Amino acid sequence: MNPLKVEKIFKQYGDKTAVNGISFEVGEGEIYGLLGGNGAGKTTTMRMVLGLIYPDGGTITYHGKPYTVEQLRGLGYLPEERGLYPKVKVSDQINYLAQLRGMSRKDSDRSLKRWLDRFGVPEYYNKKVEELSKGNQQKIQFIASVIHEPKIIIMDEAFSGLDPVNVELLKSTVKELRDGGTSILFSTHRMEHVEELCRNITILHKSNPVLQGNLKAIKKQFPRERVMLGTGGDVSGLESIQGVTKVIRHENGYELFIDREEAGRPILELAMSQTDIQHFEVLEPTLNEIFIKTVGESHE
Amino acid sequence: MNNNFWTVVGFTIRNKFRGKAFLITTLIIAVIISIGINLPYIISQFSSGEDEPTSIGYVETKEDLTSSTMFNGVHIAAMLNEHYSTQEKAELKLVPFADTGSADSNEKELKKAIVNGKIDGYIEFKANAEVGFPDVIYKSEKLMEGSVTQSLQTGLAAVKSKGVLQDAGLSAEQTKLLMSPVDIDAVQITTSEGAGSIGQGKTPSQQAMDMGLVYVIIILLFMAIMITGQLIASEITAEKSSRVMEILITSVSPLKSMFGKIFGMFIVGLTQIVAYVAVIVINMTLPHNAEPLAELNIRFSDIDPFVLIYALIFYLAGYFLFATLFAAVGSIVSRTEDLGQAVLPITMLSLAGFYICMFGGLSNPDSMLIKVSSFIPLFSPYAMVVRLGLSDPPLWQVWASIIILLVTIYVAGWISARIYRAGVLMYGKRPSFKELRKAMKAYKV
Repeated sequence: MNPLKVEKIFKQYGDKTAVNGISFEVGEGEIYGLLGGNGAGKTTTMRMVLGLIYPDGGTITYHGKPYTVEQLRGLGYLPEERGLYPKVKVSDQINYLAQLRGMSRKDSDRSLKRWLDRFGVPEYYNKKVEELSKGNQQKIQFIASVIHEPKIIIMDEAFSGLDPVNVELLKSTVKELRDGGTSILFSTHRMEHVEELCRNITILHKSNPVLQGNLKAIKKQFPRERVMLGTGGDVSGLESIQGVTKVIRHENGYELFIDREEAGRPILELAMSQTDIQHFEVLEPTLNEIFIKTVGESHE
Repeated sequence: MNNNFWTVVGFTIRNKFRGKAFLITTLIIAVIISIGINLPYIISQFSSGEDEPTSIGYVETKEDLTSSTMFNGVHIAAMLNEHYSTQEKAELKLVPFADTGSADSNEKELKKAIVNGKIDGYIEFKANAEVGFPDVIYKSEKLMEGSVTQSLQTGLAAVKSKGVLQDAGLSAEQTKLLMSPVDIDAVQITTSEGAGSIGQGKTPSQQAMDMGLVYVIIILLFMAIMITGQLIASEITAEKSSRVMEILITSVSPLKSMFGKIFGMFIVGLTQIVAYVAVIVINMTLPHNAEPLAELNIRFSDIDPFVLIYALIFYLAGYFLFATLFAAVGSIVSRTEDLGQAVLPITMLSLAGFYICMFGGLSNPDSMLIKVSSFIPLFSPYAMVVRLGLSDPPLWQVWASIIILLVTIYVAGWISARIYRAGVLMYGKRPSFKELRKAMKAYKV
């Protein structure tokens, strides 16, 4: 049984539909990606999962059981915007939040120190949140969401405001949590993070789930449309091959766009007949391309 | 689960006590209180050298002012001096000046004496044949010298009675009887079974203590509501605007987090009040302050325990009722800047209750306004305390008022918790009543 199961949930604000019938399941040790443009309904979906707001229709089950206060305490939540007391010491508020979620003060304090050490910032223990930089506040926020060892964590834009070093640090932590069996519902605008972390995704557009499923399977659905060709010398006549729509000349070769996958073979043959081949690859579409294509298409 | 309530309470208290602002304000107010209590003593230390009687000049005129030889200027002045010298601490002293012959030059002399500091002012006698006693004019540089003129008036009245009585040939006992003041003792009694323990009647001193108690309770309640209420509202708004609320709501039920906060603030406010009371008591028991206190006739043993107990009930009930309302309002507003405007209606209600009692109730505790107010939940914590302390409301009315109040707290707490639950997730502009009602329906508390 999957730890988190969302079935056809539906939410309406006035006459505006915020989320229109989204369903998904997050398995144990899985990071599930929830993608979408601004105002697509990601945050509303996450809030419904958190029990902050109730869906107008559909069901959400946690380890097979419906919403209860006890269940909700077992969730971890990393909100998109900062959710900390600016004027309270890090140790005080993290321990407070952990205690509210049922941890003893001693346990949470020990755990907090461990996390701070791990993020290389043990000196923040006695600092007020407002004294920290935005990125470091995000680290504290992250600790707040995981300190009570939740089985399900909801992360809304977990890596926003972080420098590349800290992104890597948090990313590796998230992976570790995943490998430890935690189910994570993850939303971001950074497609490369999704490609790296998520097994399954849902792309929301204007409240509707427009694309859903296993990331690899989704990529397979989209044709390979790009060819990278590295050559020793010039190749002429690439444009006239059937299926090639565009050729871009690079320093060490060519980038070609094709409208059918079969076009790869004649390209390689033509190139081989004229010069040495250093590199040839028919590229998978990136999630970024898929996203723009999906969301862009339904714009029309 | 109940642990969470206490966790919230503990966190609220800890944060307030650790805040520098709280400690500094408490300290400043404590210092002000101490200064206020010690002020009479401090002043007396400074003014000890100025205890000499005020000197008043007069002209020893030979001219007869009235037909009666008794009441010429010289004689009156002599008798006045005699009158003041019998006082424990002479208030005035009359200084004679020789008559120079003309009124103008006399006045010049006297004015010169004022400039030299020999006298503070002077009196002139003017014949009044109709009454038989001269009119007296007191002249000084200062405006409205109430204490001197008052002292002169009593002195002159005493002089006049004495002079007349000397001529009337009364016996010493008769004189004494005539001169002694009439005492009136007002004792408050009850005619039915009232709420207070005043069946035996209350002496004026007990009544004064009750009056004082009512004053103190009402002012404390008003302060608690205004200060703590505002704090509760602003803390909730701050939690909301910093989005901690989203995390809180997923971990603790809104009812617990709201009442945890209210209760925590109550403890904070109570500690503050206890600290102030302690400062007052310590200062009053200092040896040098014992005398002024005794003069004021304050005896704590005169407080009616029943009034005190009921007053505490109403104090607590009033606090919690207003606190829940403040919490509800705080949860609707998303930014601290908008809070002042939003809490205004509640502030006005509290102010109205306070003023009804301060100006309508303390002088006339049996008025219809106070009677009606003592059953209206938001006013009753003030109004019923006034009635309990200063009049004698029937027991059933007191309990009816308490029950109405408790039911209101329950209802207000429930509604507030729903508003809180719904309000804390509504950002942007303040929601309309319709939006709020709709949102409230959507959540369980």
